[in-house]
Amino acid sequence: MNSVDSLQYFIPELIVVGTALVTIIYDLLPDSKDNNSIAYIALGGIALTLIAIFATGAPTESLFDGMIRIDGFSIYFKVIALVATAVTIVFSIQSRELDPNTKGEYYSILIAVNLGMFMMASSTNLLMAYLSLETVSISSYILAGFLTHNQRSSEASFKYIIYGAVASGTMLFGLSLMFGLTGTASISEIGAKLAGLIEDPDSRLAVMVAVVFVLTGLGYKIAAVPFHMWSPDVYEGAPIPVTAFLSVASKAAGFALFIRIFYLGFGQIANLSTTNWTLLLSIISALTMTFGNLAALPQENVKRLLAYSSIAHSGYLLMGAVLLNDTGIKAILFYLTIYLFMNLGAFFVVILVANQVGSEMISGYRNLVSRAPLLAISMAIFLFSLVGLPPLAGFAGKWILFTAALQKHLYWLVVVAALNSAVSLYYYVRIVKAMFFETAEDQTPLTFSFGNRLLLLAFVIPTVLLFILWEPSYEVISAVIKDFTPADVGKLAATVSQQP
Amino acid sequence: MDWTQTLFWFFFAMTIGSAVFVVTVRNLVHAAFWLMITLFCVAALYVFLKADFLAATQVVVYVGGILVLVLFGVMMTSGKLDLNLKLERGQMISSGIISIALLAILFLIVRRTNWQTAETQFDSEGTTSSIGEAIMGEFLLPFEVVSIVLLIALIGAVLITRKEVKKEDAA
Repeated sequence: MNSVDSLQYFIPELIVVGTALVTIIYDLLPDSKDNNSIAYIALGGIALTLIAIFATGAPTESLFDGMIRIDGFSIYFKVIALVATAVTIVFSIQSRELDPNTKGEYYSILIAVNLGMFMMASSTNLLMAYLSLETVSISSYILAGFLTHNQRSSEASFKYIIYGAVASGTMLFGLSLMFGLTGTASISEIGAKLAGLIEDPDSRLAVMVAVVFVLTGLGYKIAAVPFHMWSPDVYEGAPIPVTAFLSVASKAAGFALFIRIFYLGFGQIANLSTTNWTLLLSIISALTMTFGNLAALPQENVKRLLAYSSIAHSGYLLMGAVLLNDTGIKAILFYLTIYLFMNLGAFFVVILVANQVGSEMISGYRNLVSRAPLLAISMAIFLFSLVGLPPLAGFAGKWILFTAALQKHLYWLVVVAALNSAVSLYYYVRIVKAMFFETAEDQTPLTFSFGNRLLLLAFVIPTVLLFILWEPSYEVISAVIKDFTPADVGKLAATVSQQP
Repeated sequence: MDWTQTLFWFFFAMTIGSAVFVVTVRNLVHAAFWLMITLFCVAALYVFLKADFLAATQVVVYVGGILVLVLFGVMMTSGKLDLNLKLERGQMISSGIISIALLAILFLIVRRTNWQTAETQFDSEGTTSSIGEAIMGEFLLPFEVVSIVLLIALIGAVLITRKEVKKEDAA
């Protein structure tokens, strides 16, 4: 579809850009910084975008001459991105870290990241994929370093930029090799051509190097070992709302692009190639979850602990990506949805405690159960769900991921993942123990506004409900990715696999 | 070997040679000037690829714009920044091994692979108009998204560099 006709399906993205511009212009008005009106404008923009997405529906069209594709898969990730952004805005209103003078810029960039994430979820062209990645990265550098007076925040931003520049440069090199090999930037055409190329022994090495280089850029975005080095420092140095945002929204978008490129583009070579891609990805997945969990063990700072645990969760999610089949994608989407609620919920508790107690350390959580029962119980639910204990949603998510991996006979990976879950129980329970069984000198009850209690419940309820309504929600996801594989690629895969 | 070939190898050697100096000289200002030669030579290599528009853009944007900015940055931060650019021996060895291995692999790839090649015909009109048409046609969306990326970067740059404004000063 050409550019002019595509515009009618592009309204959500246009609203996102419009909102970003309105917030930055509104910021110039006098008195705009005295209250939270900018944040409400941003929230309004997100609500409008959501409405526009559902009004547009899911027609499964290729837009802008094949640059992006609108399908159930991209819409799913767009909704995840918007929900995470809306939650981040609400967190930011609560947060006391942010400088009121830079509100306009902050919300404007936070909204603009959504454009990047929308594109990451819908790109079907390498050029667009790279640009979208860069949109999200550059905005994230700024957001991570938003506390300009804070040395840790500046250091976080600086490290993020250095690692990001190397990763995206490497990825760009890989993309250029890919273009040189196939002569096209369209991801599904590359998938079709690579299947032929892999038979050619002269090109095999080039394909391998290109895929590894692209993996570097994507691995960096989802904080997979060995491209994770930036994430603990960034997650700790950035303002808490930004950390929550990066660990959920930007990671989800990273997985969207990962699936799109690896499943549609490189998926064929996984079945044909002499190189064992499944093994490579499995090893990355196992290393990621093991590193994340082991590094989280000695942490005393809850924010840093959650940062490492979010690396571990990337590892679990990668189990689904290893499979490169529909079951794997469904498992990833399902787990991401659950992860969205439980992880953001945990970060919300961290913000509330940091505001009231003034501490991010585990010691600050002592005896929280008698000071703020609702908060302590909610936190326990989020943490147990992050471990993956029944009857919470985290269990359902892990169960689906594990069974998907078992179907592909990746027994060792499932064993590693199960062992990792056991390890993770230890450090999550340390927080629970502090909240319920340790005494604190300060016994004053903490008070929270009605809105905060309501928001907390908005995280708790899905964390429980998604366990009970596991099958219907899985059905929804199945319906969503029904049209994910374009017909021609599916056909091609079938013909190729039939050949001896 | 005709003149074109000789010139090509000249620029090739200059690109690599000056790039080596960029990373090895101690003085940041010197490094920036060596970088200028590298960028110029890359522009020359673009000419050999018959990418006239790209070559001109390279000179205007990189040599004229970005390099001057780099020099400004170096000048304004010199003295304030006490950078220890020395590498440890262990880092030198490990990064050296990785770089050489990567170079060897890339060299092998370039030699062996059957790359897709495009027919290059010399067109007296140059490539500018066709690039313009492509940007306004097939690549319209990336073109527009780039402008948003630049806007974000601009806002971010202003935000990071501006001084903290105290409440009294603002009022």
